[in-house]
Parts: sequence; C-alpha cells; structure tokens
Amino acid sequence: ENISDFSLNITDCTQVVVPEEVFFTVAAAGILENLLILIAIVRNKNLHLPMYFFICSLAISDMLGSLYKTLENIFIILCKMGYLTRHGDFEKKLDDAMDSMFILSLLGSIFSLLAIAADRYITIFYALRYHNIMTLRRALVILAVIWAFCAGSSIAIALFSYEAATVIPFTILFPLMMFFILCLYVHMFLLARSHAKKIASLPSSAAHHRTNMKGAITLTVFLGVFLCCWAPFVLHILLARFCPHNPYCACYMSIFHVNGTLIMCNAIINPMIFAFRSPELRSTFKKMFHCSR
Amino acid sequence: MSALRLISNRTSQQALANSDYTWDYEYYEYGPVSFEGLKAHKYSIVIGFWVGLAVFVIFMFFVLTLLTKTGAPHQDNAELSEKRFRMNSFVADFGRPLESERVFSHQMAEESQSLFHFCINEVDHMNKEKASQKGPSLESNTHFQEVPKSSGMFEEDLHCLTKFNIPNFVNTEQNSSLGEDDLLISEPPIIL
Repeated sequence: ENISDFSLNITDCTQVVVPEEVFFTVAAAGILENLLILIAIVRNKNLHLPMYFFICSLAISDMLGSLYKTLENIFIILCKMGYLTRHGDFEKKLDDAMDSMFILSLLGSIFSLLAIAADRYITIFYALRYHNIMTLRRALVILAVIWAFCAGSSIAIALFSYEAATVIPFTILFPLMMFFILCLYVHMFLLARSHAKKIASLPSSAAHHRTNMKGAITLTVFLGVFLCCWAPFVLHILLARFCPHNPYCACYMSIFHVNGTLIMCNAIINPMIFAFRSPELRSTFKKMFHCSR
Repeated sequence: MSALRLISNRTSQQALANSDYTWDYEYYEYGPVSFEGLKAHKYSIVIGFWVGLAVFVIFMFFVLTLLTKTGAPHQDNAELSEKRFRMNSFVADFGRPLESERVFSHQMAEESQSLFHFCINEVDHMNKEKASQKGPSLESNTHFQEVPKSSGMFEEDLHCLTKFNIPNFVNTEQNSSLGEDDLLISEPPIIL
C-alpha cells in the first residue's frame, strides 16, 4: 500500500523520532563502556573467575544490543541517501541477520543475569563447596551452552517471527526469567535477614536500617532497570503481532524509537550496577588509564 | 523483527515525497488506522503501561524492604566495634543483664573475629596461590574444624562473604577495620 493512502487524521499518532545524535551517542557510550570492561577482565589475571566471566557475558550481550541499533541506524541513513534499495534480497537477509543479533542480545542479557544470580546463590548457599561446584571450566561450559542456545533460538525466532508460536514463547520467557531471578535474590535476602537477626542479638548499631534499605534499594534498582529498559520493547513485539490495526496499539508502537533508546541505556547502566561495584575491577581501570597516559 | 524494519523505514519514507512503499513483509502491513471515535485517550496504553510498571517496581521495593526488616528491638547508634571491645558496657547500654546473653554475645563476637581473621588470611592465601584451586579449599576445610561453631549457617555465610572473592556482594576491602566486619555480616549480600 502506498503511504499516501494513509488517512492523515489530525489526531494521528505520529512516530516519535529520537534525534540521531542522541541515538549514536548513547549507542557509542554503551559499546565503549562494555568494551572497556571486557578488556579489563581479560587483562587482569585476578579477574579470571567464574563471576567475572558471567559479567563478561552480560557485557557482550549489551554490546551486541547497542551494535545492532547503531547498524540499523546506519542502514536507515544509507537507505535515505539511496545507497541501498528497500526491497532487495540482500537487504532482507541483512535485516534478518540484524534482527537475530538483537534477539541474541536480549536472550544473552536475560541468561547472563540468570547466570550471575545463580552464581551468587551458589556462593551463598553452598559456600564451602563453591570452588568444586563452580570451577572455571564449568563456568565456560555453561556460558558456551547459554550462547549456543541463544544463537539458535535467535536465528529461529528471526526466521519465523511471523508465527505466533515464536512470539508467545519469547514474550513468556522474559517475565518467567525475571520472576526466577527475583526468587533467587529473595531467598538470598531471607538468609541475610536471618543473619542480621543473629547479629541483632549482639549489641548492634543503627546501621542495620541503613544496610537493609541499601540491599532493597540495590535489588530494586537492578531489577527495575532491566524491566524498564526491556519490557517496553517486549510489549511492542506483542502488540505488533496481535493488534497492529488497533489505534491504541498503533499509538503505543509509535514510540518505538524511544523503546530502542531505552534498550541502549540499559547497556550503559548494567556495567554500573554489576561491574563497577567490584573494587578489583575499578582498580584495574585506574591502572589502565594511568598506563595510557 | 520485521516490525522494526517497517517502522524504521517508515520514518525514512516520510522524508521522501513520492516513493512506492513496497516492502516484502506484507504480513506486517500497517493499513490506514482510523483514529476516530476513540473512547479513551489515544496514548492510554503507553500511560497505562508505564504507570503499571512504576507501581510494580515500587511494590517490589516495599516487599523487599519488609523482607529485610530485622525487627531488632534495640537499635543503638554506637559502633559495633566499640561494643566488642567493651564487654562491660553491654549490660549498661541495653539493660539486659542476663549473664548467659552476655557470654553468648561475647562468644559470637570472638568467633566472628577469629573467623574473619581466618577468612581474610584465606583470601590473601588464595590470591597468592592461584595455580591450585583445590589447595586452599582443602586447607580451609582443615582450618574450619579448629574454629568453634555456633551454627553451621553462620560460618557458611561468613565464609562465603569473604572467602570466595565476591566483591560484588560485600565490601571485602581488607584494610577495613575489624569493627566493620560484623557490619559486613549483617549487610545483605546484595551489595551489588
């Protein structure tokens, strides 16, 4: 259908356009930050631990997400300038490849977060056997399995994205994983509470209130950021599949670029929540920057 | 998702005046959407979604805060370290003159102190000998038996908080004063 057939009503929901400079800045910041983390973890031998490898995996999936958005924007600009046609076979394949990269990034993010939560869970509840349970080799095997699964399903979803059968599992996986991660952390929290109760039987300080709040705030920030950054896009996918002609749905889908920018913001915020909290990683950064001067 | 490409292309389309909008994915054709006769505000899904998300996050925050409430009856402003080294002041500060409690708390403090020394030493040890991962754990097992136990879970948590190099959880800076150690225990491990 020609775009001229569009009924241009005054009350139309026009596309909310994010300026390209903002797009590229956010994407570049995300890519750079995660790349730095990767380099720091690879260079410092002390950071060759399962926990940091999972953080690496999260950094890689964040980088892929930002990279996807950047490439897509470049693609659009090339289309606008006429270097690429809009209906070529090559473009379609390119588009499929980029879609699968994006889904790979989303799945990789979710599974990395899950791996980090599981790693912490084992650290707390199987503390004495942790080194035997989570050896370096096992961590690498787990990561390989996760990424193979993500790659396979991303390609499958990208190829069969029209079917409801792929959209529904995809959108169910998201809240399911979130819920599972929440359960793991809540269980750890409950242990911390019983711990704190034991300490409270000692003469204790008012720091309890502060640290309890701190833990709750940290966990809320962590899960809240992930939800706020990814849920809008997942909802978009659902609406695009099930009610593209509904005016309400169309209005929601008009803020698509904002949702994309949110995903890239997640790539910037995630390192701050996970990687930069580690003193060892921070000191590695300082050394890197001092050496480069 | 072809929806992505579709919408992205649409913005580029609007820039070009006369262009045939031929895209391969007929499936995701967005036909003309009429905006007449809407009962609710047209952005109602957007607003509803974000309000719902905010409510959920706040709800989750309150649930987590409630979960981590220790419900300790007496909260003091003094630092824990001072209490440990001034055993006599326990009675004066809290008005709990029960001898058994005092002894118990003294024991717990001693244990945590010794365990923490041990844990910090273990971390040092581990950092020095990265080659064999099994070595330290074996050593730790033997050391572990020497330490007096109050409850299994207590030392486990203590161990896991410091021994396994999880700086994302707690502030395991080894130059922190010993008085801070108990605060480390008391902190929920999600100091991410």
